[in-house]
Amino acid sequence: MNALADFIINSLGLSGLSAELVMLLLVVAVAAAVFGIGMTISGLLTLAERRVAGRIQSRIGPNRVGPFGLLQWLVDGLKLIMKEDVVPHDADPHMFRMAPYLVVVGVFAAFASLPFGQLLIASDLNVGILYLLAITSLVTVGVLMSGWASNNKWSMIGGIRAAAQIVSYEIPTALSVASIILISGTLSMQGIINEQGGWPWQWYIFYNPFTFAVFFLYFTAALAEGNRIPFDLPEAESELVSGYNTEYSGMRFAGFFLAEFANIYLMSAIATTLFFGGWQIPGVTPEQQAGSLVLQITGMVVFMSKSAVGCFVVIWIRWTLPRLRIDQLMSLCYKYLIPLSFVCLGGNAIYLLIFPKPSSANTLVHMITTLFGGVLIVIFVTRVMYHHRISGVSLDLNFLARGEKGKYNPETQVRAYGSFRKKYEKKQGAK
Amino acid sequence: MDAMVEQGPEGSFVLGKVDDLLNLARKNSLWYMLFGTACCAIELMQTGGPRSDADRFGMVFRATPRQSDTLILAGTITYKMASRIRLLYEQMAEPKYVIAMGSCANTGGLFQESYAVVNGGDLFLPVDVYIPGCPPRSESLIEGLMLIQQKIEKEPWLKKAWTNTKNPKDPQIEGLL
Amino acid sequence: MTSEALIDYVKGLLGDKTKWADPEAGDNFLTVASEDWKNICQTLATDKKCSLTYLRNFTGTDYPEDDEIELTAHTFSYSEKHGLIIKTRISREAAVCDTLSKIWPAAIWYEREIFDLLGVSFNNHPDLRRILMPEDWVGHPLRKDYKQQETYRGIPTTRPA
Ligand code: SF4
Repeated sequence: MNALADFIINSLGLSGLSAELVMLLLVVAVAAAVFGIGMTISGLLTLAERRVAGRIQSRIGPNRVGPFGLLQWLVDGLKLIMKEDVVPHDADPHMFRMAPYLVVVGVFAAFASLPFGQLLIASDLNVGILYLLAITSLVTVGVLMSGWASNNKWSMIGGIRAAAQIVSYEIPTALSVASIILISGTLSMQGIINEQGGWPWQWYIFYNPFTFAVFFLYFTAALAEGNRIPFDLPEAESELVSGYNTEYSGMRFAGFFLAEFANIYLMSAIATTLFFGGWQIPGVTPEQQAGSLVLQITGMVVFMSKSAVGCFVVIWIRWTLPRLRIDQLMSLCYKYLIPLSFVCLGGNAIYLLIFPKPSSANTLVHMITTLFGGVLIVIFVTRVMYHHRISGVSLDLNFLARGEKGKYNPETQVRAYGSFRKKYEKKQGAK
Repeated sequence: MDAMVEQGPEGSFVLGKVDDLLNLARKNSLWYMLFGTACCAIELMQTGGPRSDADRFGMVFRATPRQSDTLILAGTITYKMASRIRLLYEQMAEPKYVIAMGSCANTGGLFQESYAVVNGGDLFLPVDVYIPGCPPRSESLIEGLMLIQQKIEKEPWLKKAWTNTKNPKDPQIEGLL
Repeated sequence: MTSEALIDYVKGLLGDKTKWADPEAGDNFLTVASEDWKNICQTLATDKKCSLTYLRNFTGTDYPEDDEIELTAHTFSYSEKHGLIIKTRISREAAVCDTLSKIWPAAIWYEREIFDLLGVSFNNHPDLRRILMPEDWVGHPLRKDYKQQETYRGIPTTRPA
């Protein structure tokens, strides 16, 4: 952004106050753009969640608004704006109104230092990853505030749980991030990506066995920080109605909702940056990429697809696993994740003592780890395929299934889908 | 604004189009409350399942009344529950709609003679759509939700003032707050 | 104990305080006077041989023709594997009886139900409130001469034609 500002100011020949003004306008414009991008991403993620959930549960999911139901998220947002904004009689009105802003600011401000592409970063802070960890802590305050201000016992329990959970899981997250910082030697997001490469064995996840473990620690801890199943205790529907946002309606609720989904993207994007080489294209050096617009766009697509895979995994987990109990959640953090992340941090430090410089032995370790990871993935896929085969159901991964079109007709609209559909149609044909 | 509304008997063209857009949004995102009082609730759950999939129309359930648009009276309503349902209804944010699902919620159904059962949800709530059946099939429930959608389509949202009718002294919810 | 052995034993234990039903009339039960109600239940629950420690069911029936309300307690012994039905009759107007909740804590809820639906009040009951009907309901619905109120909290109790 600074480069852009310098370019505009120099080419217009501005100085003094007008240069400051241009700078200010630019800051506002970039902030608005980042916010818009964040909103769009989280809106699309809500839709993705519903489509994927539909497919997992052998349904279709929203398909009425726009092509393939792609505008469903806009429609939901518009409706939520139109809803009445209820502030309960006994609630603390100021805190109640303020809490969603804190949550939204905490999550969307983090988008400012996400490296979507080599040049596509609103602000490449030299303490980027530290900034991300710090600013997302605002969410805790907002959530606790909403729970307290609602004057509702479910909200209160939800808020307290969220605070306990987020504060506890910050530790393993920060420790696993520290492992990566140790290797990269920089806190800047772009710096960390520049240290990696396009090929899998150049990624930090396969740097050595410890970083491989660190990735899973980070992923688990980030899931818990984002209040996602299996760690969604703050909004456990079966116990707490809707958790800390029970009393919120209309746009304030939409704020919480969007922030939650933005958080999913955030954690996937951070994982992509730290472990999966960000926007690096295989076989292209950062210098080559800097010189070509096509490669720049490809880099952005690479980053987006890597983080999309991450988001998909999060949603997949959401619709597969049951919820943990609060004591299990806490013991998972304090008994397992924190000691393990300390072990990994120490292991990384010792590894760096032994192989401080890029060397052939170092490369060998990367290769072996990559091989190990590849074998794990192959085992996982074969297991899934084996179980899928013995279940005897045909796999239908059409997440954009159209379903039926046109006017509602109970005869054709409410009927079986997938393999049941074939049986149904056979039966209909026989009649 | 008023001048624009006054034009023509049907309201102005511009506001009409804006209304259409807003109503399109409202009708395609009709979140219903996850709430049932008896056996009809099983059919209500089934409506969200794979066979009928209410999510296709953007209808998902919300656990809290603050975030839901439709209250589906799914099941037998006893007098003791009626005041709670009334309270839930008062907690919902405007605009809100009520569906009476099944004979019990329509008229008391096969428990009509009982001393404990309310003889129809419309005796204490403004019901928009009645769905007959014991229980209604999920097709019927979806058709009922579609009737709500048709009702929404005809509402002039910009002209209609959503008045806050909540009254803490309401005798029906007295003592519950 | 078998059913016959238990009946013989209880007959010996309680003497002439009991009235037994005709053995042909299905399940055998013993009827006691309402003054002895609590003491006899206490004896039967604590006696080593009977040890009827479990209250399976406790309910009431209205008999307007006799002007009486009958209370029926179904008891069971897990250790001895036998059960006994104990009944008493109280007057309809006064409708007062001693509580069994000190003997079988489960009776707290059963007695609340009987209070709610039949209007029997239990002496020394720790928490005698309505359990099924709303707190501000008028009348006791399982009395045979019960007339429902016209409206409840503004809701008509009959469907307008
Ligand atoms: S209408 Fe039938 S299915 Fe529905 S609640 Fe009443 S009895 Fe149950």
